[in-house]
Amino acid sequence: MAKVAREMVERAGVNVDQLLELLVKNAAAELTTYYYYTILRVNLIGLEGEGIKEIAEVARIEDRNHFEALVPRIYELGGELPQDMKEFHDVSACPPAYLPEDLTDIEAILTVLVEAERCAVRGYTQICNMTAGKDHRTYDLSLAILNEEIEHESWFSEFLGEGPSGHFMRRGETSPFVSKFLR
Amino acid sequence: MQRFTKKELTQYNGKDEALAFIAYEGKVYDVSRSFLWQGGRHQVLHTAGVDLTASLDHAPHGADLLERVPMIGMLEED
Repeated sequence: MAKVAREMVERAGVNVDQLLELLVKNAAAELTTYYYYTILRVNLIGLEGEGIKEIAEVARIEDRNHFEALVPRIYELGGELPQDMKEFHDVSACPPAYLPEDLTDIEAILTVLVEAERCAVRGYTQICNMTAGKDHRTYDLSLAILNEEIEHESWFSEFLGEGPSGHFMRRGETSPFVSKFLR
Repeated sequence: MQRFTKKELTQYNGKDEALAFIAYEGKVYDVSRSFLWQGGRHQVLHTAGVDLTASLDHAPHGADLLERVPMIGMLEED
């Protein structure tokens, strides 16, 4: 544990135990989403599905990156991941992104994807609000993740006909915002 | 439609197998089956069995998400 780092956050008025619980829940959401997106991506086939597969894959990889980036901060602040992965799954900050019953319903798959991203956007907004001006490192990390989650939401929402977002899909490396936490 | 006082609502806190109800703007919602309200807790900061009208102003979502859970009663004024 980074003892002084935690002390600074506590002295700034953040309830570190609450923050840690939120970080663990969001780490669980990232890793479970990585898993469920694997299944969703596999089923994005056919004339409609293939066009979405690439961004689903980028979102999947970036969600795994988010998990990787969150873990060190959890341990720095004195927290830990649950020993049991089943428990970890069930404390997720977001519901499981299950494959819809009708595998040919690409719009239903897109709805699952966009709902998962929206849950993440809400979660990191909450952490940013809690840490702004108080816990600079967690804020910086959460903001970086939030930037990527907002882009994921934008990509999927455009396919659902919710209007343009002004974003373009990734060119080159994944996680342009979070990569600095992965080095 | 069932009517609840604030005191009655506290029994539905989602703990120890209890149902989880929350109130918002005079309406009572059953969140027992919501993944996001397991054990009567929501995103670490909120608990079931209470009126969350004021809390929702500070939440990173609007009241529209309550449309996803059943509205099962009304909260009586004090």
